[in-house]
Amino acid sequence: MQFNKILVPVAGTKADEEAMELACTLAGAKNKGLIFAVHVIPVERSLPLDSEIESEIGRADSILAHTELLAQEQGCRIETDLLQAREVGPAIIDEAIEREVNLILIGVSYKKHFGQFSLGDVVPYVLKNAPCRVILYHQRKS
Amino acid sequence: MYIIVVGGGRVGYYLTKALLSEGHEVLMIEKNATVSKTIADELGSVCLHGDGCEAATLDGAGTARADMLIAVTGDDEDNLVACQVAKHKFNVPRTIARVRNPQHEAIFKKLGIDVTVSSTNIILEHIEHEVPSHPLMHLLTISDKGLEVVEIKIPAGSASVGKTIKELSLPPESILSLIIRKERKPIVPTSNTILKAEDQVVAVTPPESEDALRAALIGR
Amino acid sequence: MKVVIMGCGRVGARLATLLDKEGHQVTALDNDTYSFRRLPPDFGGTALLGNGLDEEALKRAGIEQADAFVAVTQGDNRNIMAAQIAKHIFKVPKVLCRIYDPLRRDLYSLLGLEAISPTTVFAQMLKEKLKS
Repeated sequence: MQFNKILVPVAGTKADEEAMELACTLAGAKNKGLIFAVHVIPVERSLPLDSEIESEIGRADSILAHTELLAQEQGCRIETDLLQAREVGPAIIDEAIEREVNLILIGVSYKKHFGQFSLGDVVPYVLKNAPCRVILYHQRKS
Repeated sequence: MYIIVVGGGRVGYYLTKALLSEGHEVLMIEKNATVSKTIADELGSVCLHGDGCEAATLDGAGTARADMLIAVTGDDEDNLVACQVAKHKFNVPRTIARVRNPQHEAIFKKLGIDVTVSSTNIILEHIEHEVPSHPLMHLLTISDKGLEVVEIKIPAGSASVGKTIKELSLPPESILSLIIRKERKPIVPTSNTILKAEDQVVAVTPPESEDALRAALIGR
Repeated sequence: MKVVIMGCGRVGARLATLLDKEGHQVTALDNDTYSFRRLPPDFGGTALLGNGLDEEALKRAGIEQADAFVAVTQGDNRNIMAAQIAKHIFKVPKVLCRIYDPLRRDLYSLLGLEAISPTTVFAQMLKEKLKS
């Protein structure tokens, strides 16, 4: 199966890095596929959506730069994008629609919420609303 | 403008949609998780699940930077409290409350709510307009000036027919601003204008002088 | 003293009973007659069916002559609204209300309502019991 446009949301975790490597494999080297790495900064309601949160932007830039480097090491084409949104899930879906990707690949680390295993809010939202195929790259319980 | 709508019922839902389409930044706060989710699914990230009367929820909603808060839940007391918390804790410049019980409009105003909207009163006003026999119609309320614009039709047989305006004992705060006569151009009345039967008089008056104005114009 | 109590739940009914026993003139207002079962058979005051947010109902309960008004329904916001009507519209000399939510109580205390949060009071009491 060939995926020529892959969206990879990145938040700066180890799972993201491994997901990125997998995306590169799926996209194929020799300039076949294109990867979009996107980082979403959630903006709380007390601030306008377009406010510039220096600390978050600095962190996001370094995550995206690191991701770009990873892809280039694998010989993959990559574009990065920084988004600000009230909620992460809808922002990822909007991006997937706009970029007309045919795969969303998300790295997920094993998380617990109130002592229970949890996928969080973003992953279920993406699974429910994705316009294309989705691969979850889930890290095992460490 | 950043507008917060409290209550995701039918009124809140259509209000949020309308405000969004006018280009405002809108956030709806809804107490019921299922309703909140349904609305978020349809309208996007514009719905917050929580109690809009609770300071913590309003804080998370960024109420401190809101230009307006509109409370449209089905319960008057909840609308009152949401507006008061917004006003006194977060200094929201303008608060609007929906009231179900028309009596509560006056109470809410006394308690500092900027604007109240009573669907019952709105429907009553429309009925007044639709019933032509009604001698006094409210055309417009200028609430911050404490004035109303009303229209009064002079029935044949009123004591005012055939009299000049200066002969009438009008309340001093009321001003007759226009007389519309059948098949004639509207005229701006002077103190010497003589009233005729079937004249439609447009007047500006404080609400408390309304009865005196009515008596002066259509009393027999 | 003439007292109107809005909400004839456990607290409202108990307060009504205590005041009645002391010889005060008590009116208990509730929007459900079933609540009045909590009043003792020898209750000497008045039990009145009505909505405490309705001016007419409050007048029927004698709020215009009341020396005190107490709002103890289950709803914080109902209590807040009724207390404000009693205080600002009917100018009742003494107005008390229950607000479960401590944050809301603090805000309305600042706005001049005499309000008690059972949440705060009870938690404090438990803490003191644990320490003793």
